Amino acid sequence: MSSSTVREFEAQLRRARDLSEALLHPKMTSSTSTATPMKHAFMRQVDEVKSPKSDINALILDYLTMAGYPNAAARFSAEANLQPQQDDASIVARQQIQNSIHKGDIQVAINALNDMDPEILDTDAPLHFALLRLQLVELIRQCTSSPGGDITPALDFATEQLGPRAPTNSQFLEDLEKTMTLLVFRDTVDPPVAELLKPDLRRDVADKVNKAILQRQQQRRDAAIRHLVQMRAWGEEAVRKETKKDLPARIELGLNGDESDKDGLQENGHEPMIVT
Amino acid sequence: MTNPFQHGSSGLPPDVAVTGFLPRIRSSYASVVSGSNPNQPTSSHPPFNRLSHLLNPPHDFTSDLYSTHHSSSRSRSHNLAYNHQSHAMDVDRNASSQDAGAPSLRPAVPQLPSFSRAFEVFMSGGGIGDSFWASPHRNNGFFTPSYLRGTTYIQKLEEAHKTKQAQKEGQQQAGGGGLQTSQTTPSPINSKSGFHLGMAYDLIERPPSFEYDESIAPLPTKWNKDDKNGGLEVLGDGQEVKYVSSKPPGERDYEACAIRANHAMPAQAGLYYFEVVIVSRKRDDTTVCVGFMQKDVSLARQPGWEADSYGYHGDDGQIFHGQSVGKHYGPPFSTGDTIGCGINFKTGVAFFTKNGVNLGTAFRDVKGKVYPVIGLKRTGEHIRVNFGHTPFVYDIDGMMKQEQAKIRKAISETSTENLTSPPMSETELIQQLILQFLQHDGYVESARAFAEEIHAEQEALTIDPDAHVEGINIKDDEDANRRQRIRRAVLEGDIDKAHKYTNTYYPEVLKENEQVYFRLRCRKFIEMIRKSAEVNQNNNNNNGISKQSNGRSIDDNPNEMDLDENGYSDQMETEDGPYHSASDQDALLNATIEYGRVLQEEFKDDPRREVSKALGDVYALLAYPNPFEVKEVAHLLDRRGRVAVAEELNSAILQSLGKSSRSALETLYGQTTVLLDYLREDGGSGAFVTIQSVVDEIPKQQPF
Repeated sequence: MSSSTVREFEAQLRRARDLSEALLHPKMTSSTSTATPMKHAFMRQVDEVKSPKSDINALILDYLTMAGYPNAAARFSAEANLQPQQDDASIVARQQIQNSIHKGDIQVAINALNDMDPEILDTDAPLHFALLRLQLVELIRQCTSSPGGDITPALDFATEQLGPRAPTNSQFLEDLEKTMTLLVFRDTVDPPVAELLKPDLRRDVADKVNKAILQRQQQRRDAAIRHLVQMRAWGEEAVRKETKKDLPARIELGLNGDESDKDGLQENGHEPMIVT
Repeated sequence: MTNPFQHGSSGLPPDVAVTGFLPRIRSSYASVVSGSNPNQPTSSHPPFNRLSHLLNPPHDFTSDLYSTHHSSSRSRSHNLAYNHQSHAMDVDRNASSQDAGAPSLRPAVPQLPSFSRAFEVFMSGGGIGDSFWASPHRNNGFFTPSYLRGTTYIQKLEEAHKTKQAQKEGQQQAGGGGLQTSQTTPSPINSKSGFHLGMAYDLIERPPSFEYDESIAPLPTKWNKDDKNGGLEVLGDGQEVKYVSSKPPGERDYEACAIRANHAMPAQAGLYYFEVVIVSRKRDDTTVCVGFMQKDVSLARQPGWEADSYGYHGDDGQIFHGQSVGKHYGPPFSTGDTIGCGINFKTGVAFFTKNGVNLGTAFRDVKGKVYPVIGLKRTGEHIRVNFGHTPFVYDIDGMMKQEQAKIRKAISETSTENLTSPPMSETELIQQLILQFLQHDGYVESARAFAEEIHAEQEALTIDPDAHVEGINIKDDEDANRRQRIRRAVLEGDIDKAHKYTNTYYPEVLKENEQVYFRLRCRKFIEMIRKSAEVNQNNNNNNGISKQSNGRSIDDNPNEMDLDENGYSDQMETEDGPYHSASDQDALLNATIEYGRVLQEEFKDDPRREVSKALGDVYALLAYPNPFEVKEVAHLLDRRGRVAVAEELNSAILQSLGKSSRSALETLYGQTTVLLDYLREDGGSGAFVTIQSVVDEIPKQQPF
């Protein structure tokens, strides 16, 4: 309650201040208003929105913690004077498991995961299958990397570990079949199958594992910022589809620094209708 | 329309004006009345009881400070505090009265109570619900129908409500009487729609904080006794309607008598719902009709029989829209039944409920601005409405949650690829946003650590062991380092250090940003108060809260103050450093007061109200021996206040460097806010989602 009170108080203060600023320094405002007419109404409204720093900082720390960047999380909570969201050790533990998966050391990851939470794989069959399937992909990668590689280890693994699980779920079966084609066709595989050999699969599985751990630890799977980004994408789609509101042809985030403002201007320069 | 209160104060008992002698809790009610009523004396608020000790401060010098400062600003902060209190109470009692159901048990403050309604407490008699209004809580508050809790619509309504109140108080403070208050903000809406609607309409007059944010539609709060037909009488609190007389002599029997609520069902809420209890009737068949219609529909016919009119009739259970031929819909209803009526503005579907059971879709494509309406036909028929002051019989909260879940699902299924060109994966985009934010805002160490960790991750993901992964180049930006140093100082409460650094590195910034300078000076005062309060706490309980245990940040040695090139430094020699004995404590207090005096001297002639207001707020802190424990003022001491000052200063510096004051993440936040606002305007999907809900996913940090 106190933070919202403060925020509210500040918002009031700021509003009042802006008003009085406008009254006291007409020059200043007129100079800004000569600069803004080219700006799209939407952009101007965006500029008006106060994004509370405490919220933004919380989003950042939340992501660094949830996604498993222990050093950055620790630095940021020190620099921004925030309480760490989770203790360092548990962030590090999650990060190490993810790192093993990223590197393709799936067995290491599975062992660490079982040490951390012995029930997690037993209660989540799809997760377990995804890990084992990735392990198979890695085995196939190993034995196909050299021309005369021996594919027996991969075959054995598929038969022992994945074979018995596949029939329990049609998706498992499909995934396994797709993976096995890698073994058979080697170099001439279809693009969708070749996708499996890309690092994206490792990242994907590592994400799944991380989320499963988080779910069991804190009943949350995603960092909040992910939902914010999705909300932004959804919001734009919905406004374009459901309303007659006027939006710029493209809404830049300004990730490349200060160019966003310029872009906005250029863009609106092409749309004289909007100029006020 | 006529307004029974146009000559308002004539009906007001004189004692209401004597706010000062009422219990504190009434103060804000009184101020609303006085602020909006032309005939009330306003400028002579006697001090509230709780504040009386302020006038007899323990130290002589404080009276100096206060002498230039009239008491009304302090009353303002109390009013604010009261609002929070009452709101909290509201929530509390809400929960506890879940089953009670009886309106009289519910102290929830009605939102936007027009003052006409407030007057009713004193003026009207009779009616079951009178005790409903007996509590003074009701007169100046804000109620939130359970299903709208946490929505942006309610949040905006509440903000508007508070802004309005603050404005009123401000105008009072500015020395004007109530007369000025009500005339300085003439509004076309106001004059057109009837003054008796009072505050609710006044709300719209405030200069909108967003240009597209033209108005926040208020919630219906009661039946509009000036918008009815025939022999209907509105009882007591405005929630009850009774058919009292049959027909006026010489006229033929009315087909029906209907009455509209004081406000339309707000589309911005996304979903709106109200319930009506049939209290009694005379004959066997109930001819009560529940529904909604537009403003210009005749009230002499049963709801549903005209165009733009919709109704569910109790005698035959049929629904009507635009004609007097009904359609079969639900069961008939009668005495004791609770009939609910709701509209989902996103889908345009209207539905009714009976005793908590949803009867399904009644109408589709409901459009326009529709008002809750009730139609009665026979003498003795008597209904009571629940516009959300009390818990509903039907689980409308559940329906709201379902709608919200649908939107959440749609959101989570949206691809974020098109947010950037060329497209980026969601994870990559988020990483870029965060990295850019950290660099932009000068979190140098964090940015570097994050870049290293991302780089390590990419290396691990690289399948070809020989491939070289390009590292992320974090510029060693001198400005970023300086800004971070300044921020650090503010966050640690070492305002002097921050001041010194800023003047050293960016000598123009504080000159050109007078507001930032003022805020920094005020924060300095707050930090001094904090310090003496902490010392005080320490002394009181020997092993009590030390400043270290109180937080993680006051660890720098604050004594390294060596600035003298700045005109202000001479005032602060006495502060800082470990004060442990009682005399040190006194010295600290003296220093604080001395600083306050200088601050006052510097800004006392400032014409801006927010300046004097801010000063008044911080000076009020002096009045409490332990302000940490006085919840009305403790928030001013909150560390989060440092964040605000630090960020404002940082933005000012960025601007002076010609850089965008906003990171991409903040831009994205702003864009999302505006997009959701667009989507909410006509009750679209934006009403079912808030940006705050995203932030609220994050486990709360400890404030201290």
